[in-house]
Amino acid sequence: MTTATPTRPDRGTRPARPHWRVRLRRDRSLILMTLPAVVLLLVFNYVPLFGLVTAFQEYDPLAGIWYSTWAGLDQFQRLFGDANFWNAVQNTLYLSFVQLVLFFPVPIALALLLNSVLSQRVRNFIQSVVYLPHFFSWVLAITIFQQMLGGAGALNHFLRNNDIGTWDVMTNPDTFALLVSAQVVWKEAGWGIIVFLAALAAVNTDLYEAAAADGAGRWRRLWHITLPGLRGVIVLMLVLRLGNALTVGFEQFLIQRNAVGYDTADVLDTFSFYYGIATGDYSYGAAAGLFKSVISLLLIWGANKLAHAFGEDGLYRR
Amino acid sequence: MGNELNRRSFLNAAVSAAGLVAMGPLLSACGSGPAQRAGVGSEAALKAVLPAYVPNTSIKPDIPSVAGGPDVMTSPGFLSYPANRVATVSGVPGKGGKYSAVTPLWGTIPPADNAFYAAMNKALGVQLEMKPADGNNYNTIIPTMTASKRLPDWIQLPTWWNSQMNVGGLVGNQLADLTPHLSGDNIKKYPNLAAIPTAAWRTGAWGEKLYGIPSHATGFQIAGTLYYRRDIFDAKGITADQVKSADDLMRLGKELTDAKSGVWAFDDVYRYLYTSFGAPLKWRVDNGKLVHLYETEEFYAALDWNNRLATSGYVHPDALAGDNANGNTRFYGGKTLISSSGTGTWNLADLQSGRAADPNYRRGAFNIIAADGKSTPRVDMGAGASIMSYLNINLKPEQIEECLAVANYLAAPYGSAEFTMVNFGVEGTHFTMVDGVPTATEAGKKEVQAQTYPFLAAPAAVVNSPGVDFVTQDYCAWQAANVKALAKPVFWNMNISMPQAQATADAAQQVEDAMRDCIHGKKSVAEVKDAVASWKSSGGGDKLIQWTDENVLQKHGTGQ
Repeated sequence: MTTATPTRPDRGTRPARPHWRVRLRRDRSLILMTLPAVVLLLVFNYVPLFGLVTAFQEYDPLAGIWYSTWAGLDQFQRLFGDANFWNAVQNTLYLSFVQLVLFFPVPIALALLLNSVLSQRVRNFIQSVVYLPHFFSWVLAITIFQQMLGGAGALNHFLRNNDIGTWDVMTNPDTFALLVSAQVVWKEAGWGIIVFLAALAAVNTDLYEAAAADGAGRWRRLWHITLPGLRGVIVLMLVLRLGNALTVGFEQFLIQRNAVGYDTADVLDTFSFYYGIATGDYSYGAAAGLFKSVISLLLIWGANKLAHAFGEDGLYRR
Repeated sequence: MGNELNRRSFLNAAVSAAGLVAMGPLLSACGSGPAQRAGVGSEAALKAVLPAYVPNTSIKPDIPSVAGGPDVMTSPGFLSYPANRVATVSGVPGKGGKYSAVTPLWGTIPPADNAFYAAMNKALGVQLEMKPADGNNYNTIIPTMTASKRLPDWIQLPTWWNSQMNVGGLVGNQLADLTPHLSGDNIKKYPNLAAIPTAAWRTGAWGEKLYGIPSHATGFQIAGTLYYRRDIFDAKGITADQVKSADDLMRLGKELTDAKSGVWAFDDVYRYLYTSFGAPLKWRVDNGKLVHLYETEEFYAALDWNNRLATSGYVHPDALAGDNANGNTRFYGGKTLISSSGTGTWNLADLQSGRAADPNYRRGAFNIIAADGKSTPRVDMGAGASIMSYLNINLKPEQIEECLAVANYLAAPYGSAEFTMVNFGVEGTHFTMVDGVPTATEAGKKEVQAQTYPFLAAPAAVVNSPGVDFVTQDYCAWQAANVKALAKPVFWNMNISMPQAQATADAAQQVEDAMRDCIHGKKSVAEVKDAVASWKSSGGGDKLIQWTDENVLQKHGTGQ
C-alpha cells in the first residue's frame, strides 16, 4: 500500500479535518474495498426495511404492499391483547437471561483454559474439537441430543434395561431452559472463544514475566493482567448480547417446540412465524417483529451508554 | 411425498381459504388494484358447466374399480404393465406454439434442454419449456411471481396451498377461465380429459367457472389411515381385521409395546383417527345449525383417547417429542408397529424402503373403524384431486386450445403409448422393458421425472407396483373392503374464499398447539377446552362460524 500513514495528532489538540475531497483521494482504495459490503448491507438489510410498512396494513401478498389496505395500529392492538404474545415475550426474556448466566462465561473460561495449555498441538486439537459443533445445523445438533437423551435414546435405553426409572429431559418443559443452554454451550462455546483468544494474544507477555518476577502467582496474574486485558472485549460482547436479548435463536426452538409445548418454547421469532407467516397473517407477524426490533434497538442503545459510563469503548469509541 | 403433504392436501382441499381484500376508497384511485375474489358459486350453475364424464375403456385393468357412493370408487389395479400400448391420440396435438411451464419437483431437477424434453416437444408438437422448481420452496416461489404478475403460461398450484397462494384471488385475474372450452360436451374434443372423473374438475372450479386441470384424480380420496406391520402382526398371530374399536387398539398398544427392546406400538395416529370417534372433519350441521369441530363432544373424546394412549406409554418417545420426519424410519425399523399416513404411501417405493430395513417388511392397513365399535364405520372423503394446473389468462383462445390438446395427450390412460412416453420416455434411450416392466436407464433416471409433465395433466390414478403383485393386491383389496365407509363431509369439494381474519381463525394456531400437546400427553383435555374458549371469543372463532354459516351454508348448502 502506498497510502501514507497519517501522523498521529498531538493529544489534546483536535486535528483540523482535511477537505472531503482530500480524504476521498486518500481513502479511495479503502472505500472501494468496503463498497461491496455496503451494497450488500443496503440491499439485504436496509431495503427490506420498507416491508415494515405491512405491520400497519392488512397485508395481502396478492395485492402487494402498494394496494393492501391500511390498518393503522390495529395489528399492535391485537398483539398487545394476545396472551400468547406476552407468553412469548416472557419466554424470550427468561431464556435470554438463563443463557446469559450459563452460556456467556463459558467461552471466556474455555479461552483462558486453552491459553494456559502450552503444547501447541494439544491446543490445536482441543480447539478443533470444540469448534466442530458450530458447523452442524440445529437439526443435527438436536437429533444428536435426542439420540442421546431422548425417551428412546441411549441414556434412557440404559436406564430402562437396568430397571432404573427413565428420565426424558427432551420433552420436559420444566428443564427446557437448561436443556437449550446446554445445547448452545455444546454447539457454540467453541466458536465463541475465537474472539477471546485473539484478545488474549494481544496481551503483552512482558507483563506476565514482570509479574512472575515480582512473585505473582497464577491467580494473581490472571486477575491483574489477563482479565483487565480482556475487559474491553468482554464488555463489547456483553453489549452485543444485551442488544440481542430478544433474539435467542429460531431453529433451535422451532424444532423443539412440539417436544415441550408452545407455552414453554415459543419465543418472539417463533411466535412471528407460527402466528404470522404460517397462518398467512403476515401483518400480525410483521407487527410482532417490529415490536421486537424497537425494543432491541433501545436495549442496545442502553447497553452501549452503560459501557461508556464504565469507561469502556462499547460499540464505538466516543 | 410423505405423510405431511397428504394430510395438508386433504384438509385444505376440503375447505380452502383465500384472503379477501375490501378495497378502500383511497386506494381505488390508484388504478389497477386486485379485483374481487372468486369463491363458491351456486350449486346449480356449477353443475351446468361441469364437463361431461366419458370413461376410457381402451385398456382393461387387472383389478377393476369398485363403485361406492356417488363420486366414490376404488382405483383400478394393474399387476403388470399393459403389453399392448394403445395409442389414444392421433397425430401431433400441438401446432408449434411456444409455452413455458412451472411445476414443483420434490427430487433432483433434471438438466434443462435434455433429450427427454426434446423428444416430448416433438411428440407434443409444441415448444414447451419445462421449468421444474424445488417443491420444498414452491410455496414461497409462487407468491413472488403472482405479486409481479409474471406467471408462466402453464403452472401447477397444488390445492393444499390454495390459501397460501391465494388461488381464489388469481383465478380470473391471472389464471384463465377454461369454462368455454371444457364445459359440458365441449370436453369431448379432448377424450382423455373427458375420462377424468367429474369430482376432480369440481375441485378446480371457482365460482361457477372451471379453471384447474386435475392430475391423478381419484374416487378414493381420504386423508390417510392407520397402518400396521403386517409381517410382524402375522408372526405374532394377530389378525388386524379383528380390531373393531378404539378399545381394541388400546389393548394392542399394551400387547405390542416393549420399551426395553426399543419397540413402541404406536406412532402419532390422531390425525387419521379422530373422525372415527364421530367427530366431523371440520364442520357438521346439527338440525340445521352449523357446528365446528371444536364444539363437538366427539372431538374431546378423540383427544382424551389419544392422551391416554400417550400417557400409558404406548407411543414412541420420539413421536411424542414432535419428530414426525423420522416416522417412516421408525416404522421400517420395527420401532413402531402401528403408524398413520396418507394412502399414497402404499406402493413399490415403500416396499423397497421397508425391505432395506427388514427383508420381511409388509405393510397392512386396519379397516376403517368406529371408535365405539358399534356405529357404522365412516371416513370423510377428500376433494377429487390435489394436483391442479392452470393456464395463464394472457393466452389467446387458440393458444388455450393448443395447451388443452397437449393436456389431452398428457392425460392419456395408464399403459397407453402416450402414457409410456410421458412417464418413461423413449424406449431404448430412457427405458427398456425388463420382465414386462418399463425400467429406467441411466439417462431415464436423470431426465424423466414423475413430477414434470404429469403435474400439468395426468390420467385418473391407478394402483400399480410393477414386479410385486401383492402390494397392488393388498392395496386394492383394502380399498374395496372400505369403499362403503367413504362419505362426503360438509362443504365437500367446495372452494371457499374467506377474508383474512376468518382464514386466520380457521387456521386456529393456538388450538392446534394445545391439541398437539394434549395428544402428546403434556396437556389435559380441559386445557384444550380453555384454548378453544379463548379461540372462540378473542381468536375469531365465533366470527368464523358465523361467517361460514351466513356466507357458505346459507347460500350454497352443504355440498354433500
